Amino acid sequence: MSIRKIVTFTEDVLIEGGREVSPAARVAVVAAIVKNPWAGQGFVEDLTEGIDANASDLGALLAPRVLKALGSPAEAYGKAAIVGLNGEIEHGSGLIHTLAFGNHFRDAANATTLLPAVEKRGPAGVVFDIPLKHITDATIRSHHQSIEVRINDAPHPDEIVIALAAAAQGRPQQRLADFSTESK
Amino acid sequence: MSPDNLGIRKIVFYSEEILSENGQAPAVTAVRATAAAVVANPWLGGKPSDDLSPEVMKLAPVLARKLTNVLAAELGGVDAIEAFGKAAIVGTAGEIEHGAALIHTPFFGNLVREFFEGESIICFADDRGDAGSNLVVPLWHKNAAATRTHYQTISTRVGDAPLPGEIVVVLGASTGPRPHSRIGDRLTDPAVKADTIGELIS
Repeated sequence: MSIRKIVTFTEDVLIEGGREVSPAARVAVVAAIVKNPWAGQGFVEDLTEGIDANASDLGALLAPRVLKALGSPAEAYGKAAIVGLNGEIEHGSGLIHTLAFGNHFRDAANATTLLPAVEKRGPAGVVFDIPLKHITDATIRSHHQSIEVRINDAPHPDEIVIALAAAAQGRPQQRLADFSTESK
Repeated sequence: MSPDNLGIRKIVFYSEEILSENGQAPAVTAVRATAAAVVANPWLGGKPSDDLSPEVMKLAPVLARKLTNVLAAELGGVDAIEAFGKAAIVGTAGEIEHGAALIHTPFFGNLVREFFEGESIICFADDRGDAGSNLVVPLWHKNAAATRTHYQTISTRVGDAPLPGEIVVVLGASTGPRPHSRIGDRLTDPAVKADTIGELIS
């Protein structure tokens, strides 16, 4: 696994809607900028080899870092793969849509649900939003949220940005009716 | 504005650890980082002649304390921080002078130097822009500003800030030099003048 850079990003919201948020609402993101394992190979039919060589290692690297950056237990989480312009979106999907990647985060966070994800192709500096949902019940509406990320010089055309996001709470000032209380 | 926290809406931290540059690990692994506070502009609706100092004295020291705390905690302590820089992005309802007021007085700069145990003047960038504006923050050595290995920058951006009535105040820091820094320094530079360059620029 060839990593150029590791980015850590946290956002603490102290005021939302003009009212204080106490304690501050934190969302954390950690991203690894890696060389696309299939760069320069043309169309690769079977991605298994590159996935096996990288996906689990990336999950093991990012999961503890994002939980450390969060600094408290995760209640919502999500993931991202942003592929540089020479790659296929399928390359990013290959690295994040495997149990070998996601289970590191699920196990570390005591989570059970599927990780919501963004997959996208773009130039260096592309803005992307990582969706997050509750770690044990994806229907818990208070925890549906997203975090915006931008890395100025990544991904290069032959790179992929792989990221995990964690939130310590739901949305600040969340006040929507619970999913279960809505009439069908 | 919330009176209790001086109108600080968000605190954002961003860091980059460079493991490889041009395919090779740097001799020194450095972390570059920014801490940014999104704060309500306390001078909205004022006149160009207004004295800005009462709000500066109230707000700038708090920003200096909070942002240095974030960077020191995240980068491994004050001793680990070798370079610093600062920036402000003013929302479109404010004056550039409002951002300057928060970062260019002793109520911010002196305190940052004191908390980071540095002596240099702090290099800076300021701008006015919409939410999501990107600004490059220059950094240089906290004790010896002319140390060329430590000339570096980091980009800062908050997706939903500054709102028109807000200011994003940013403090940047680095724990080391540029990766593969190798452009000499003042002690090794040859004397360069137009006549020593000669034909190239004649």
